[in-house]
Amino acid sequence: MVTRTKDNSLPDYIAMAVIILMAIGTVFVFSAGSNIGRELDLQRFYDFAVLRQILFFPLAVIVMYIASRFDYRRFRLAAGWLKSPVGYLLVFSIALLILVLFPQFAPEINRARRWFRIPAGPITVSFQPSELAKWAVIFFLTAFCDKFSADIKLYWRRFIPACLIIAVVVGLIITEDFGTAALISLLALLMLIIAGVKLWHIATLLPFGAIAFFAALIRSPARKMRIIAFLNPEKWADSAAYQANQSLIALGSGGLWGRGLGRGICKYGHLPADTTDFIFAIIGEELGFVGTAAVIGLFIVFVWLGILVVVRCRDRFGQLLAGGIVLTIATQAALNIGVVTVVLPTKGIPLPFVSAGGTSMLLSAAAVGVLINIAKQSSKEPLEDNE
Amino acid sequence: MKSVRIIIFFLLLLIVAFLSLAGRCFYLQYSRSGHYYSASTKQQLQKPQRGVILDCRGRVLAASNKIQTIFAEPRIIKDAKSISTKLAPIVNIGAQEICKLITESKNPGFAKIKLGAGANQCSAAGKIYGIGVQSNWERHYPMGPLTAHIVGFTSADNQGLDGTELQYNKELSGSAGQNIFFADASRRPIRLKQQNSVLTDGVGIILTLDTTIQQFARAELLNQYESIGAESAMAIVAEPETGAILALVSLPDFDPNDIRSADPNNFRNRAISDQFEPGSILKPIAAAIAIDAGVVGLDEKIFCEWGHYRGRGFGRIGEYGNHEFGDLTVREILVHSSNIGMAKIGQKLGKDKLYSGMKHFGFGKKTRVDLPGEVGGLLRPVQKWTGYSVTRIPFGQEISVTAIQLVRAFCILANGGHPIRPFLVKAMVDNDGRIIKLKRPSPAVGFVISPEVAQWIITDAMVGVVNEGTGKRAKLEKWRVFGKTGTANIAKSDGGGYDDDAYVASFIAGAPAEEPAAIVLVSIRKPNIKLGKGYTGGTVAAPVAAAILEKTLNYLGVPHNLSQNVAAF
Repeated sequence: MVTRTKDNSLPDYIAMAVIILMAIGTVFVFSAGSNIGRELDLQRFYDFAVLRQILFFPLAVIVMYIASRFDYRRFRLAAGWLKSPVGYLLVFSIALLILVLFPQFAPEINRARRWFRIPAGPITVSFQPSELAKWAVIFFLTAFCDKFSADIKLYWRRFIPACLIIAVVVGLIITEDFGTAALISLLALLMLIIAGVKLWHIATLLPFGAIAFFAALIRSPARKMRIIAFLNPEKWADSAAYQANQSLIALGSGGLWGRGLGRGICKYGHLPADTTDFIFAIIGEELGFVGTAAVIGLFIVFVWLGILVVVRCRDRFGQLLAGGIVLTIATQAALNIGVVTVVLPTKGIPLPFVSAGGTSMLLSAAAVGVLINIAKQSSKEPLEDNE
Repeated sequence: MKSVRIIIFFLLLLIVAFLSLAGRCFYLQYSRSGHYYSASTKQQLQKPQRGVILDCRGRVLAASNKIQTIFAEPRIIKDAKSISTKLAPIVNIGAQEICKLITESKNPGFAKIKLGAGANQCSAAGKIYGIGVQSNWERHYPMGPLTAHIVGFTSADNQGLDGTELQYNKELSGSAGQNIFFADASRRPIRLKQQNSVLTDGVGIILTLDTTIQQFARAELLNQYESIGAESAMAIVAEPETGAILALVSLPDFDPNDIRSADPNNFRNRAISDQFEPGSILKPIAAAIAIDAGVVGLDEKIFCEWGHYRGRGFGRIGEYGNHEFGDLTVREILVHSSNIGMAKIGQKLGKDKLYSGMKHFGFGKKTRVDLPGEVGGLLRPVQKWTGYSVTRIPFGQEISVTAIQLVRAFCILANGGHPIRPFLVKAMVDNDGRIIKLKRPSPAVGFVISPEVAQWIITDAMVGVVNEGTGKRAKLEKWRVFGKTGTANIAKSDGGGYDDDAYVASFIAGAPAEEPAAIVLVSIRKPNIKLGKGYTGGTVAAPVAAAILEKTLNYLGVPHNLSQNVAAF
């Protein structure tokens, strides 16, 4: 059914950009995770983020390939609520989000319940349901907006139900992971705007958003402290702004050309979360501006390719889905780099494809697989049933 | 199609965001790279001890002490509660509070528990797993405000910010950059960096300053400063032969141990950074230049126009206190401080000779004393002089000077005409007390004016000022004092003439006249005239200068050269 025309190389370019980013990520997770104090015990190799990432890289490529073979139109809700996987995906992730709040199922890590630990033989697989929920919301909203296309302008019958679904997901996440919750709300909002919701409909949500934001701020002194520290980093260099300050030191000390691959020194205990949220700073330290510019350049290329996919796609669902996928990944990347360069206050958002972390990497890879599928089909002849 | 346009708009917005983030990276990694590079090196280093600053008799003016900090390493602590309860009785902090410090620390390797802990506390705390002791340097200034402007102060990270601390920051700092290896945050060595270099502590600096004399000068000056409600005041005591500064006081001052609560305006060392029109105190210098140039004879009578001198190109000149003088010799002009006499001497001397003479005495350029923030005063280039300049500069108008420049000029007169450079740092010593560098300026070569003229000005004219003229209050029982008053109107800030209520009252004094051991300059800015305690150099500055001089000479054990005369009376 899917026939590729010869001049369509868009899918290959997308795959290439993403695989290069993953390769860079794997190399730097390996570099940042190096630790001279501990020896690597291959019996327990899955415990080491470094080695785990080497496993995830090929796995992610396979997932991406499989997802790209799956016709994206099967995600549509047009055929009926129960025929599309998006509904099940959403229900499944909401269930997981509820489960993760129970201490029997999920251990507390860094004072938050965000991960499942699933023992599987000798290894323990961690899984972060909020990552799945993010993609479930994006896919579901796209399908929802596609199904009701122009009806989305109806406030009570369409707009509010969509918002309620988002609110349930965000509400479940917000207590444990403020950053991801805020990201999901932002992306959902953008999706609704794209789908053509009236702006004053969205304006009615603003008071609720503001209340949620301030409530979250007041309930957590640490969060308030982070924002104060962000506004005044030098003063709190040893406490709340420690991470931000160390991130700037790592980035800045790299200079134009960097200290050289593997020669960075900030990863030795100075910069927390160096393999995950702050991997970009390690790239900056070891490869300098050349390295950071290359990573940013790859993301720009990815966004540009995304624009081409959207423009060439013939059906509205494909356009919305491609837009949503590219928007999600690129926004996340921009926020992460913003945090690392201390343009934004510290938030736990990983850099897509690059940061260590299996859930994020595999799910992003799957999403890109869907994007590739859209790209593959976009250059085909117009479909007969094109509305 | 509308949706597509919005998607493209958002995605283009993201591209713009990425480009600006790349710009931010460029800024951080190119423009600010040096800053962060040194910051990253610094946190891998062991800090050297900052050198001491001592006065000329070895009294400590600034020193760094080790203070112990007890800290926790949160990432290796599994049970913060039990560690907190163990630590609480040792450091006298509530267990709950400690627990909070540990769990809420953003730095996984360091959570400060207690600063400035005692030795017993440290050794007990160090035995608990996960608790460490770190030593840091803290700067102390035992003399407090007394030597504040000379010693200066440092920032929290031990960088000199003012005074000697700033001027000799490099030497005092030592070299931490040559430490031996990189360490990770758990202080485990990673690799050797430079095997051949070692951590070196900062060198000590010995000043020419004598705290005892400084104490005399500050006590006397502070007393007068407060009683006459002046805006600011300064005093300098120097050794004429070498230019060594024995005391330097600038009021108002501050306590370097507590710079956070000090008024930053008081950080300024006015003795080197305040320039003012000196007034009559400059007359002996101009007279010396004229005599040395041979344009005025010692016995020559100069007609002083009965107090009213006017002419084309230089306006009108009157005498202070509306005196009406007739024929005066140079000595009488100085003793009675005649403006008209000095104006005529200036005219006889001519622009070029007056200008080059003033330059040789060091006006219009910095003295290069070893303190930061010195200004050069103002002596306009001779091409810009008018008829006013040549008649005003000889009595100290149309020229701005600093106190340190006046001290240098009178040191030159007092030592027989040798040029000198005022200096504060005598030597540098290493940690074992060995002198590693002598900082005394090389001995002067040549003469600014002939020794005979200099000696005549000092022992004849300036002694006359104290014994018979405007400086009578500076007379001392045991030594023959030379001196000169100066009472200068402060020019109005809008440039229109002088302010009748605002004066700078100065006095320069030195003794013994035959072989001066010390000279003292006191300069008081804007005494409060309404208090009725006087405002002239002769009334407010001279007694202070005399008191400082007397105590200093006693302290230095300078032989009394007037004892026979006193006995003869």
